[in-house]
Amino acid sequence: MDILYLLIPFSVVLVLLIVAVFGWAVHSGQLDGFENEAERILLDEDQGV
Amino acid sequence: MSAPPPGLCAADADARLLAPFTTWPDGPGGVALSQFQVAGMHCAACSGLIEAALLKLPGVCGVSVNPASARLALQWLPSQLALADVLAALQVVGYRATPDVAAPARELRRQERRQALWRLFVAAFLMMQVMMMATPAYVAAPGELSADLDRLLRWASWVLTLPVMIFSAAPFMAGAWRQLRAGRLGMDVPVALGIAVTFVASTGALFDPGGPLGHEVYFDSLTMFVALLLLARWFELGARHRAADALEAVAGALPTAATRLRDDGSSERVAPEALHVGDRIRVAAGEAFAADGRVLSGQGWANEALLTGESAAVAKTAGDAVVAGSINLDGSLIVSVQRVGADTTAQGIVRLMQQAQSQRPFVNGVLDRVAAGFTVVVLLLALAAGVGWWWLDPSRAVAVAVAVLIVTCPCALTLAAPAAWLAASGALARRGLLLTDLAALERLCAIDTVVFDKTGTLSEDRLQLRRHWALGADADALLNVARSLAGLSRHPVAQALADGSAGSWADVREVAGRGVEARDATGRVWRLGAPAWVSARPDPAARLAFGPVGCGDCVLWLDLSEAPRADAAATVKALRAQGKRVRLLSGDQPAAVARMAALLDIAHWRAGATPESKLAALRDWQACGERVLMVGDGINDAPVLAAADVRIAMGQGAMLARSAADALLVSNQLMAIPQALALAHRTRRVLRQNLAWAALYNLTCVPLALTGWLPPLAAGLGMAASSLFVVLNAQRLAR
Repeated sequence: MDILYLLIPFSVVLVLLIVAVFGWAVHSGQLDGFENEAERILLDEDQGV
Repeated sequence: MSAPPPGLCAADADARLLAPFTTWPDGPGGVALSQFQVAGMHCAACSGLIEAALLKLPGVCGVSVNPASARLALQWLPSQLALADVLAALQVVGYRATPDVAAPARELRRQERRQALWRLFVAAFLMMQVMMMATPAYVAAPGELSADLDRLLRWASWVLTLPVMIFSAAPFMAGAWRQLRAGRLGMDVPVALGIAVTFVASTGALFDPGGPLGHEVYFDSLTMFVALLLLARWFELGARHRAADALEAVAGALPTAATRLRDDGSSERVAPEALHVGDRIRVAAGEAFAADGRVLSGQGWANEALLTGESAAVAKTAGDAVVAGSINLDGSLIVSVQRVGADTTAQGIVRLMQQAQSQRPFVNGVLDRVAAGFTVVVLLLALAAGVGWWWLDPSRAVAVAVAVLIVTCPCALTLAAPAAWLAASGALARRGLLLTDLAALERLCAIDTVVFDKTGTLSEDRLQLRRHWALGADADALLNVARSLAGLSRHPVAQALADGSAGSWADVREVAGRGVEARDATGRVWRLGAPAWVSARPDPAARLAFGPVGCGDCVLWLDLSEAPRADAAATVKALRAQGKRVRLLSGDQPAAVARMAALLDIAHWRAGATPESKLAALRDWQACGERVLMVGDGINDAPVLAAADVRIAMGQGAMLARSAADALLVSNQLMAIPQALALAHRTRRVLRQNLAWAALYNLTCVPLALTGWLPPLAAGLGMAASSLFVVLNAQRLAR
């Protein structure tokens, strides 16, 4: 069970990393409108969303 | 009001700056009424803080903040106070305000939504991880979990709780600090206190297990508490943003640029804000009118569906009034600007809605005071419980005090009313009934009589053919020819006649104010229009005539009358099914009113009424104990409307913005009225459920917490669940 002493701190670091990635996703606008994201593939490059 | 403005130029520039979000009820230079969007508001107590901070400024006459829609209505004297000072004063107490014109407010909303989602995710995701770390301590048999591992898990929980405390819970902390500094007790204070006490107690237990703070850690219940509280706020944020989006649909109809004509005949593109009264603008086909005005030259058709809900085009010729936000369908018009910016009809509607939203319901004001007193009691109780338990069992004193603090957060209490009112008004807005006074929902519950006006209310503006006759020709054959010509005209009267059949007409020409003329296959010119234009000897009983030019008696005479709205009969039936008395009160001829009453099966009707006799009749009914809902078109019914218990104005015409109605029926769907009555009853029921729930919850939980039978986990869960219950319960009204 000694591996737990490594895995627990490791999982904490991983969780904080995931939170950081989600923060980046939110602030780059990926979660502003779910419909937009689904329809974006149908739009031309210069049309934007 | 006596202080002179600090220089005319500055005042003028300021006035132009304020124009998009400000009105001047007393004329320029007097008291201004400005609307703002406020960011950073979380609870009802915040509105009190803002009001107190702004009322301290010189030149501020009145402040009204709606916590549910985060809107601020400020009555102030721009001659004594700069706009920048107002914004700075808000900044000092910790809120950001932007003038409430669509774009900056939308950006603010987007940031607010992102920030809220980010905080919610951090709290919810870390809550799950902390729970995972906490699970072994709950499920392990004695001796199964080594002391070292237990300590490591606690450390991990502590590290994962830190972001929740520092970041996710920051709004509660900041809110509590603002309230404390302002010397007021809002609901953020007990929340922040509960969080802080729990965290400090748990951290103390972690670093010093044998210390006075005991050895129990509550990181799991702490993170869950914060996450659920943020979730409730997330729902509330969504409801608020939906209401704001609905408003913007109206505001967004205004064009972003207008073509202004210079005196020398050249033109320039300018922003609508730069237009002045008296400017001449050219509006091309397909463009929206940038301002209210009067047509100087040109002919065209305008779609005023935004204001009237009617999609039928309206003819516009020289001298006709046009309204901002309506669309010029064809033809180029030169328009003289009469009203700009916040004075336009479209902006008037937007403002009425905003005022409805920034009007704090009376119930809510009472709740606020209740919440403040409640907080004091709770703090004293927690203190007493802590001290009391210190004598009985010191190891449980902190836990009991923590439980009392967490369990009694008055969130459910303060969320109860605004959540219900806001959800209901949003639901009504989707049915085309815009509430300008939220308190009308409460008054609607008492209504037992519905009084309708006839023309423009129960009847459509669209006409239908009632009778046709001809002296020297076959009337039915002529009617068919007339119908085919009518299809080529877009005049409402002609539209009522048209049946979609096409004839072989050439050289179709529309003569404004007269009618339409065209050449048939044999080259004869026919006219459809005003009787005097078609024939030299018009029949006085006819409203419309059709015949070839230069023919004496071979003219078809037509009489058109108003048709009831498609859903008028169903509405009357639905109202009667709800047990309401339905009355018809009209100034029209008895024969026409009797026909309409018979058609719609209305037993109580009165015809030929003047505005004074309408008012007298209404007073009589009220004296007999009837609670009257008056539905009128808002223009000629103004005095009767003003006297009724609840007033609904049909959303038509340019006088709309000035009507004193509680609600505007912009969709012209009469069925919205029985629906509104039913919704008002449901709103009251939901509001009572919410208040009862909040009271019951506190009555049961506080004694349990005081006696120490409520662990902090259950306290956090109960408290957050009660907030969620209140918000979700109110959302039932939004459907």
